[in-house]
Order: sequence, then C-alpha cells, then structure tokens
Amino acid sequence: MDRQRLRDAFGDAVSGAPTPLEAADRLCVACVELLDVDGASISFIDGSTTRGTFGSSGELSRTLDELQFTYGEGPCLDAVAKRKPVLVPDLDDPGERRWPALAQAMLGHGIHAVFSLPVTIASTPIGALDLFRHSSGPLDGEAVTAGLWAAGLAALPLLDLMTADTDWRKAADGRGSWEQLASLERVEVYQATGMIIAALQVTPANALVRLRAHAISRGLTASQVAYQILDRGLVLEDDGWINLPDDQEGAS
Amino acid sequence: MSAREDDIVASFVSMAGNLARGHDVTELLIQLAADCARLLDVSAVGLLLADPRGALHVVAVSSERVADLEAFQAQRAQGPCHTCYLEGKPVNVPDLASAAARWPEFAAVAAKAGVASVHAVPMRLRDDTVGALNLFGGKPGPLNEADLRLAQALADVATIALIQDRAAADKSLVNEQLQNALDSRVVLEQAKGVLSYSGDLDMSGAYAALRQYARDHNIKLTDLSRAVVNRLLPAAVVHEHARTRRVV
Repeated sequence: MDRQRLRDAFGDAVSGAPTPLEAADRLCVACVELLDVDGASISFIDGSTTRGTFGSSGELSRTLDELQFTYGEGPCLDAVAKRKPVLVPDLDDPGERRWPALAQAMLGHGIHAVFSLPVTIASTPIGALDLFRHSSGPLDGEAVTAGLWAAGLAALPLLDLMTADTDWRKAADGRGSWEQLASLERVEVYQATGMIIAALQVTPANALVRLRAHAISRGLTASQVAYQILDRGLVLEDDGWINLPDDQEGAS
Repeated sequence: MSAREDDIVASFVSMAGNLARGHDVTELLIQLAADCARLLDVSAVGLLLADPRGALHVVAVSSERVADLEAFQAQRAQGPCHTCYLEGKPVNVPDLASAAARWPEFAAVAAKAGVASVHAVPMRLRDDTVGALNLFGGKPGPLNEADLRLAQALADVATIALIQDRAAADKSLVNEQLQNALDSRVVLEQAKGVLSYSGDLDMSGAYAALRQYARDHNIKLTDLSRAVVNRLLPAAVVHEHARTRRVV
C-alpha cells in the first residue's frame, strides 16, 4: 500500500468517529488492518496520576495494555519515560531481560513481539501506541514510519479527552485530521503555549489543551488563536480568556 | 582574502569549535541561519527539517519576523523548499512571480511577506535528504555560483551538526536524532513564550535572555528551555540574570 493511501486510511479512521474513545479504538483497528501486527492499543499516561488504556483493537490488546499497568513495567511505560520508540522484536530472546514479569505474562497470551511508540503533545509524552504481534521478528521500516503517523494522530483524541467540554464532533469536523495536526505543529502555537504556561501556571500539555479548546469553541484554528495570544489581543485569566474588542486597541 | 571570505572562514571555524564542544544543536542551527543571511545577499534564511512522517518543520530562522515565519511554514507540503526536499537537489526560483503556477498557495503567502526570490538547497545525509536550507530574497534575481556553493556548504555543516555522529549507520538512530532536534525546537519556542509573557519581551529579546543564561551557566539551551517550560526554573531568575548582565 502506498504512503498516501496509508495516511488517508489513518486520517479517515480518526475523523469519522463520534467520540474520542471511539476514534482511539478505530485508530487501533486501522493499525491491525494496515500494518503487519495482530493487535494495537493506546495508553494514556498523564504525569503519574492518570494511567490506563484509552483505546484498543480488541479485548486481548486491552488486556495486554492493562498488564503493563498491573506490573508497573513494560515497553509503553519506557517509551513514555524515554520519549522514544521501544521496539521488542522477540520477547522470548534470552538477552531480553527488561521486563521479566511482563514478558512471561505476554508470552503466556501468545504474544512474541511488542512495539511501543510514544504519543506526544506539545513535546510532552502523554501516552503510547502499542503494537502487538503473535510471531517474533522486527517491524519493517515502512511499518515503523506508518506506526509513527498513527502515534501522531493518536494525540488528537487524547487532546479532546483532556478537554472535557469540547464538542468532539465539532473538533473532528471540517478540516481533516492531518490538517488539524499540522495546525498544532506550528511555531506560533508553541510560542503561544509558552505564554499560557507563564500566565496560567500550567503544564505544556495543559496549555495546548486550553489553546485548542478555545480555538474549537470559536471555530478558529489553533494557529489563529496563537496569533491572537502573541499579539496580546487575548487576555489570559485564570478562569477563562477574554477577547479584547478591536475598538479598545490603543485606547488605554 | 576579501573581508567576506574572512567572515566565512571565521563562521566555519566557530561552527567547528561549537561542534567539538558538544554545543546545543538548536542553538547551532539558529546561529547558522543567521550567519547565512549575513554572508549571502538574501533577506531571510530558514532551515526546515522533515519529521518521520515526511512533513517539514521550521527548526531555525534568521529573523523573528512573523511574515518570514509564515512563508517558511507555508512550505510544509508545497513550495520550492518542499520540492527540494522531495527531489534531493537544489531548487532555484530567481523570480517567484513567474513561478506562481507551480506553487500557487506558497507564491501567495510569499508575495504577501515581500519575498521575490527563493533558493533552496538540500540537507543530505548519504542517500537520504533530511531537510532543506531556504534562502529568501526581497528582490527578484539569481544568486551567483559562489553564493550557491557556499549555501550548500553551510547546509552540509548543518546536517553534520544534526547527525553529530557521521558514521551513524542505523536509520532509526538518525530518525531519533532528527526527532530530538524537532523536540528541542518545540521547547525552545515554548520557553521563549514563557519569558516573553513574564518579562514583557518580544521573541528576540526572550531568546537573547535565554541564550545569555545558558552560556553564563554553561548549560545547554534545550535543557534550560525544558526547565523553564516545566517551571523548574522560575522565569524571574532568567530575567534577573539578563538585567544584571546588562548593567555590567
């Protein structure tokens, strides 16, 4: 399958879903259909407080993901801690000693290979996309690239989950998922995120959530809101944001 | 040797020295973009790097002008820089107005930003292209051979800076280093935002304060940015340091 069709398939999986959780599940199912893997799951790891399975391609994948939280070890936790992919082509390899308890449990479920890709928001790792396979062996380069696309897209439903009052359908509406991601990956969005961090004393991930929620509620792109913040046309206050009317500019 | 050649040699020497000292890669790339704009007859220079998905990101620019940024960012998926990245060879557009049919969206943004010419040279690593160096001119006209050669040389230095270990044979390792460079850029921009808001500075002022603190305390710009963004180091401390430095 060529790259463009692969991208479209992942994008469609996320765009059409009625809720963030459904979007995450569909993304996992798309991974199983499009990549050389038998199961997929997305975990959500917000600091050290919230942890859990956010989406999965099926019951077994959900169980495998939850095992990592039960044992407190596993490639997904390492991928988040190290901010990079953790690829385990053979869990049964005698040299593989990183997660002794978990490896045995996974093998017990007939899983021989696990590939964990971090999901990041505003450069903060916030979760991981896990790909499981019954047979051992590496994930080929194309599949790793495609997996990284999927992990990038997985950030969108996670962002929406963090913004409880966001209308998901509105969020998924109109612009395609890749355009939404691209809008979040612009320099002005990062600079504006920094301003929100300073103004509201929040984490980078939380700052991006607030920026995006404001954008969605006003029907703007993240980039447009970012420019309003950078131009100081948007006053940041603890309990909400106030738009300065144009006619007040320069008045005071 | 002409004054300009002296300048170029000095630029390369300082770059080599910084590389040897394990300097922060983001700072190095920003310096390189600034050198490039100064040495070549162009109005703005930007470095764009590809992420593992093949999307281009702005990692360094010679100026903080919003218009320049817009023009660089417009090249994510369309424009001379994007074409240069895809094809792995230089793309020269001495007169952008006559090339509007090829890249309509980019040409519109560029025209609004006052860009009349674009030259893009690839950042190549063996058989791969990892990004491109972009030169914007305010007036239509070609760059001469010597300038183009110099631009390619600077792009090669940037690639080496990025990949640090030139012998790195492992594709995944290269991808990891590219990802690190992109992440560094994100936290740097966030830290600039924090300092800009808390100290009422513009973005260049915020960058200057950040760089001053990093240099005087011998810490990497990326590590400092991360500490500021995660509020482990209060922004006030960085502002206070910048104030003391100005008085001395």
